[in-house]
Amino acid sequence: MKRNAPFFVGYLPVPRDLRLVLAISAIAFVLAFVIAAWAVGISQDNPGDGRFRFDLGRQTVTGVLEMRPYPVLHVIEGSKAIETGETLMLSGGGKFGVAPRANQLDDMVVNAKGILLNRGTIRMLQIGNQRRDLTAGEGQPTVPEPVNLGRWRLAGEICDGKCLAGAMRPGRGIAHKACAELCIQGGVPPVFVTTQPVEGHEFMMLADADGGPIMEQLLEKVGIYVSLEGRVEQRGSIAVFIADPNSLAVLP
Amino acid sequence: MSVKYIPVQWNRFKSFYDLVVLAMIMGFLWVFVHLVPGVLPHDPAINPQIHNMRAFGSCAFFLLTAILLIGPLARLNSRFLPLLYNRRHLGVLTCFVALTHATLVIRWYFVFSPTDRYVALLNTNTAYTQLLGFPFEAFGIFALLCLIILATTSHDFWLKFLTPPVWKSLHYLIYPAYAAVVAHIGLGAFQDQQNPTFGLWMVLCVSAVVLLHLAAARHERMISDPSALGPSDGPWQALFPADDIDEGRAKVARISNGERVAVFRNNGRLSAIANACAHQNGPLGEGQIIDCFVTCPWHGFQYDVTNGRSPEPFTERVATYNIRLRDGVVEVNERANPPGTPVEPLDIPVRRPGNEA
Repeated sequence: MKRNAPFFVGYLPVPRDLRLVLAISAIAFVLAFVIAAWAVGISQDNPGDGRFRFDLGRQTVTGVLEMRPYPVLHVIEGSKAIETGETLMLSGGGKFGVAPRANQLDDMVVNAKGILLNRGTIRMLQIGNQRRDLTAGEGQPTVPEPVNLGRWRLAGEICDGKCLAGAMRPGRGIAHKACAELCIQGGVPPVFVTTQPVEGHEFMMLADADGGPIMEQLLEKVGIYVSLEGRVEQRGSIAVFIADPNSLAVLP
Repeated sequence: MSVKYIPVQWNRFKSFYDLVVLAMIMGFLWVFVHLVPGVLPHDPAINPQIHNMRAFGSCAFFLLTAILLIGPLARLNSRFLPLLYNRRHLGVLTCFVALTHATLVIRWYFVFSPTDRYVALLNTNTAYTQLLGFPFEAFGIFALLCLIILATTSHDFWLKFLTPPVWKSLHYLIYPAYAAVVAHIGLGAFQDQQNPTFGLWMVLCVSAVVLLHLAAARHERMISDPSALGPSDGPWQALFPADDIDEGRAKVARISNGERVAVFRNNGRLSAIANACAHQNGPLGEGQIIDCFVTCPWHGFQYDVTNGRSPEPFTERVATYNIRLRDGVVEVNERANPPGTPVEPLDIPVRRPGNEA
């Protein structure tokens, strides 16, 4: 300490020579925090246009339920917001899938009620929690024939379809990784977001090599930029990527 | 100084200090939480829950940075010592901000699921063998635990209970906590950001912390206390000329056993005490004598220079040393007296003009 430096003792009045230093320090710290908050706050990335479509109201549609790899509905009688012929991924509330309620309705015509989520071309129906929100319907259960779109090696990200569709904003990336894994473990359909669209499909529902739900090997790589090889099928209006987990490579 | 334990011994400066810290935190959160959403062009907006967890998380990071800047600033320039005075309150408030961030994260990302939220937090992402997608939450949990330990042991009760050396060692946890926060952000949110602004702020903050610590270490080396001039006879060691000590101040030397001794000049008489304050090992030799008591520059703890005892009713004590003068040079007996042992101050012979050797 310099000989002539003012000496500060907390419980005594602040020496005159230190008052200006302290006042400037206090103002500088407060200003720095305000500026940092503004700079960091306004630089947040756009989370995209995904959202719950509460504005469109509760949707009631009829369609054919297909359970593998994850529940989807091929709509045969649409609503104002959902066209006939469209294929919708299905989920339950929160991080729950709809499979436990839908298993006994596989390949059957069902009536489904819920809230639509959509982000670009990805669309999902969150089925209501009541038993009457997913019931057996009447009609001919015709599942569209899958169309083979070929074998592809695709680069992109494994996401959970619900958060990506707008349940969370943002609903993808590494910060969201654990949430996405919980959703997929809960039965929400996973989606592969590809950087190289296949026949116009930027989002594909993801299936494991056996055509069923994805297993640990793919689950670990949720939220990371990866490449995967597998077969792409068109099922109704959506694409399904049946990926070989052994072909997975993490990309820089 | 404390004779009994009460939650906070308020004084005007502590109140001012806490008001400034609250202004920093409230200013940050008010801008981030209330002003920023109004100007962001996103439609639909970022989830308020995610927006708020980012606000509290980044606020905690900047607060931790401020905490770590204060130490080296005070070492480089004693005018910044007042910023050190109430830093514990800054640490406790930082812990609350970080805790709020963690609560918001758990109550948003780890709920609405069949898995218990805390089990989900620990069990969901377990990819510890990969760098990309590493469970960055683990770093956040570690940092939060460190902050909780630091906040709960910040009171003087723990300082006395654990003893200053153990307490100080424990409170170095602030460094692994900061490193963990940097890893938490770097392997988490930072990976997703396309806009580089937050990354640049992070680099700026971490660089400032590292560079100021290096500068302070260099400064400490340059002004380090001189060693004793050498052994005189037996346990006596020669330190420095008595004339080098200014009235009301001390000069410090490191003796052969590694201890630092502060020799004070008070009313023309010399007394020696241990340099480390009994409170937080502050450098008593950099203090001043106020109202006949040595006053520590860190928190104002006081000691009678002739016996190393705090004025009653306070009970802190430091060791005293026996000193003597030989040819105008102060010599110290390297064997410290038990803390609080009275030692008669040493008169400095008045040199008459023309009497010098």
